[in-house]
Amino acid sequence: MTTPTALRRYAPFASASLQSMLQYRSTLLIGAVTATTAVGLQVFLWRAVYAGRSDGLPGGYDLPELTTYVLLAQLLALSQANRVDEEVAGEVQRGDIATSLLRPVNYPLARFAAGLPVSLVNATLVGLPVLLLYAFLLPLAAPTWTGLLLFLPSAALSLVIGFGVNLLVGLAGFVTTNIWGVRIVKDSVVAFFAGQVVPIALMPGPLAAVAHVMPFQGLVDGPLRLLLGHYTGPAQAAGILIVQAAWAAALAAAAALAWRKAVRRVEVLGG
Amino acid sequence: MRPIATVARYTALAWHLSAVSLHRLTEYRMDFVLGAGGLLLRVGGQLAVVGMVFRQVPVIAGWNFHQVLFLLGFSLLPRGVDRLFTDQLWIMARRLVQSGEFYRYLIRPVHPLFALLSERFLYPDGFGELITGAAITWYAADQLDLDPGIGDLLLLPLLVLCGALILAAIKTAFAALSFWTTNSFPALYAANQLGDFSGYPLDLYHPSLRWLLTWLLPYAFTAYAPASYLLFGRTDLLLWLPVVTAALVALALLVWHRGVDRYEMTGS
Repeated sequence: MTTPTALRRYAPFASASLQSMLQYRSTLLIGAVTATTAVGLQVFLWRAVYAGRSDGLPGGYDLPELTTYVLLAQLLALSQANRVDEEVAGEVQRGDIATSLLRPVNYPLARFAAGLPVSLVNATLVGLPVLLLYAFLLPLAAPTWTGLLLFLPSAALSLVIGFGVNLLVGLAGFVTTNIWGVRIVKDSVVAFFAGQVVPIALMPGPLAAVAHVMPFQGLVDGPLRLLLGHYTGPAQAAGILIVQAAWAAALAAAAALAWRKAVRRVEVLGG
Repeated sequence: MRPIATVARYTALAWHLSAVSLHRLTEYRMDFVLGAGGLLLRVGGQLAVVGMVFRQVPVIAGWNFHQVLFLLGFSLLPRGVDRLFTDQLWIMARRLVQSGEFYRYLIRPVHPLFALLSERFLYPDGFGELITGAAITWYAADQLDLDPGIGDLLLLPLLVLCGALILAAIKTAFAALSFWTTNSFPALYAANQLGDFSGYPLDLYHPSLRWLLTWLLPYAFTAYAPASYLLFGRTDLLLWLPVVTAALVALALLVWHRGVDRYEMTGS
């Protein structure tokens, strides 16, 4: 299949998802409020910590850097919230998945096409205002060109990792009907080990070790370390990107495999 | 005699309907386990953050580790009580007015607000919050060698109850906005989200935020005011607690009644 045909085939999924996203503007507001509150809490907490320490924190984050980290962590999480998990699980539960099976498209790819506009809308319409608000209120660390240049591919990879995780969670709908519980567990565990709550460098040794062997570090901690220059030498920077790419590929493969297994299990009632 | 009879009737009804809900709960045990489990993870995350903060410094804004834990645990208690009884307000804000289903609560022989809330008493997540909150508060109090007198022990349930009433009043007022806007879910969500600030010492925050959380959306009175009294004997805020609770409940009921008065059915 050549690229233009693929584009033509999957573009409708993207535009339909974009339209429904813009239809429900109140969810955008909710996203903005959640991110603003979460950032506010974290920032106030860590400001108090810095006030009580004269020698800075381990991991080498100074206050503007940590503020930037906490803020951008929420924004990355916002753009990774692509709704793929709830939509796939919902289709499985309602039985609509049968219709999707009839379409001559690759289902995971169609889901990716539908998830991408959600990410972009969240990042621009929700993330950008929150970023501007805090940039106005608090001193942030100015990014370097190198940082930005490394951050962009890393953020793109984080979208793929986030998509893979969400698709796998959504496909869990084939195994359990209580997908709501699975999603709650995912939300807190992933957020924590991604470094969305606290940079991995500030975690106690054993927790940091666990975080480093999980794919989730590539969602937040990896991209932000690259942006803020928290690595020793180009080799380590490349290492972060390579590990991310490897996890992205592994998760995509796992999702494709899970999808193939899941389709064999499909049972749809009525007709 | 009339008011006493009314209170007795509502109490009996609440008791009966709670029993019905408990039956449903035993029917859907998995939901309970998941709800409680999800909550434990969320609280676990908060505890981890507090733990990591205190790995770096012994004291933040005048509070030590166990004092912050005490506050965090205590903040879950009024939240749990509130969640046990008022979770229906979320559904009201999201769709009951919009879909026109709200009329159902107007034709029952009880107060419409009671009719709405009683449809789902004893929401299971509330138990999780209460148990976790009590455990954390107990542990922290024990570590701090807190020795409350009998007066404070008697006061404790009252403090939790007032906190729960404040939370319920805020939720009621914002849910009742849907009578004007048909869907007030985002507003309710935003107001509720600000409540997250109440689990940490207010001394951490910028004075403007502190003022907002004390006098505008008085989440300060649900945990910070009682905890600063129990831990430090501070009474400056606590003395306002009865006034704030009463005023807020009155305000919420006023908004509610105004809203019900202007409610028009969609017709069918």
